[in-house]
Amino acid sequence: MFFKRQLPIAIAATIGFLTLFGWFVDEPTIKSFVDDDATQWFDILASFAMFLGALNLLKMQAMKVMKKQKGWQYAALAIAGFAFSFTAGFILLGSYNVEITEFDDPAKVATVLASEINLDEKSTENVLVAVPEGDPYIIETPYFTKNGADNVVEQINAAGGTAHMRATDWGAHISTRGSLFNWMFRFIFTPLSATMFALLAFFVASASYRAFKIRNFEATLLLISGIIIMLGRVPIGGSISAWFILYIVVLALSAGVNTWFKNKTYTLASVVGGVLIVTIAGFIMGWPVDQPAIFYLPVLQDWIYNNPNVAGARAIMIGIGLGIFATSIRYILGIEKSYIGE
Amino acid sequence: MKDKQFWSVAGIIFVLFMIYWFAGHPYFVSERGVMFWSILIVGGVLIYSTRMAKRGEKIFLRTIPGLKAVEEAVGRSTEMGKPVLYVPGIMDMDQVETVAGVVVLGHVAKMTARYETSLNVPVSRAIVMKAARESCRESYLMEGRPDLFHDDMVHYLTDDQFAYAAGVNGIMLREEPAACLYMGKFYAESLLLAETGNSIGAIQIAGTASPSQIPFFVTACDYTLIGEEFFAASAYLSQEPELIGGVKGQDYLKILAISVMILGTFLNFFHDLGWTSWDFLAYLTVQ
Repeated sequence: MFFKRQLPIAIAATIGFLTLFGWFVDEPTIKSFVDDDATQWFDILASFAMFLGALNLLKMQAMKVMKKQKGWQYAALAIAGFAFSFTAGFILLGSYNVEITEFDDPAKVATVLASEINLDEKSTENVLVAVPEGDPYIIETPYFTKNGADNVVEQINAAGGTAHMRATDWGAHISTRGSLFNWMFRFIFTPLSATMFALLAFFVASASYRAFKIRNFEATLLLISGIIIMLGRVPIGGSISAWFILYIVVLALSAGVNTWFKNKTYTLASVVGGVLIVTIAGFIMGWPVDQPAIFYLPVLQDWIYNNPNVAGARAIMIGIGLGIFATSIRYILGIEKSYIGE
Repeated sequence: MKDKQFWSVAGIIFVLFMIYWFAGHPYFVSERGVMFWSILIVGGVLIYSTRMAKRGEKIFLRTIPGLKAVEEAVGRSTEMGKPVLYVPGIMDMDQVETVAGVVVLGHVAKMTARYETSLNVPVSRAIVMKAARESCRESYLMEGRPDLFHDDMVHYLTDDQFAYAAGVNGIMLREEPAACLYMGKFYAESLLLAETGNSIGAIQIAGTASPSQIPFFVTACDYTLIGEEFFAASAYLSQEPELIGGVKGQDYLKILAISVMILGTFLNFFHDLGWTSWDFLAYLTVQ
């Protein structure tokens, strides 16, 4: 029980106090612990924990495949993907460069090299000629296999040049552009992630549709604010004159008058009166497109965004800040022990 | 710790600290003094509230619809014979929100153990997997149903944000859980998850302290625990006096924060008018 209860709480309390109050202490050892060592310890622990995660993932997916559960094909694909990335990362280097150190006759070497760098022979020759004397020419895209690189080396050597194969260092092959792992990352993983991210656009649309449905006062307010913010942030919003918005306000107010009095004369009077007042006031004062500024969409959206929106967000932020601090204190003092299952 | 012991320990710490302070407080970063004293005050208020609650002071905790709905959601899953899906965010245990998510998971696991409902917890960090698994194991044990617990109810998917979202969405579409709970730290995947959950007709409850994700959850979920409500979840669900006391302490602190803001507004106004030379805002700004 000591190792499952008291010890974890004691460790959490000690490290918690140290990192909390370490910020106020000007002592290099404590500073270095708080700023670097503690986070590095966490990273090391997390790296070891990755093995557990990977094993769990494999176990779960393998069980799905063996039991032929619903969607087992995806599980098989997940295992295949895991195996491929593991192989490309740990077993196959997948990154071999060809380095041409001597090419006394660039035209001959270019006949071989042209197809490797996807240029015509003349352009390839120009590329070789442009290389400063004494410098080697390295084919930019590495080869996935040693054999592939060796074949090119042999062909270049046969064409009168001197070429060598150079393997990328282990570890560097992960980030080397064109390596097998990097290829997988750029051409499989990144597009798949981008696809998921792109789905967000459609989900935002469907979520906005639900949120903007006029059900009550709050939803109406949200709809109006949403329209103002959206229009105010695009170029067309700047072309809509404040006059036009004022006319819309007059119509909205007239709708209110109509609802309130249920009298056609009053409604007509408010529409005509409002439109006349706005038009006459505009002509007398010579309002340009952005005047009166309060009804100009870019200004209006800016005000909504920076005032009511920020006020609400800050209120939430203060609550969150206090909540985080209170929760942290509860963990550090051992008041809250649910995270260890108590 | 009993009152007498507590005050004795607190007194000794206070005396030692005063000796250190009046001895010139070596190694102390004086520019951060305001922050230091603020932490002491905030910590003191929280400890005081917790102790008062422990001594039996009656504390009113308002009903939080989102938390009340958790039991309803688990009940609905039980009736429909479908699993409960719990997503504890995409960050690691170094984030308070993730820890809070794991804490709430413990309470949810107790309910699923009580109702004999299947629980599925896909996680995106291996350390979270271990912590969440332990939390669930303890909950099932405490409810007297260790036979219902199995390690694989908490399982790892991937560390990557969108791959994780794709994995969870796949689980939703295949298993069609009756209840989806999102409690933790979320980023752009929040809407991907919540909209997919919405499309399968699951009852959805979210809790997060990520301000930019709250609107998405509010739009797509049935109930959302906004910011501090999420951190109060553990207190609400456990009804432990010590934890509820902490929530009351937070309310005291909010009053204090509002008072400082109002005072700061006036003092800054006076400073700008040149009536006082003391720049209160500069004094409060953390160095």
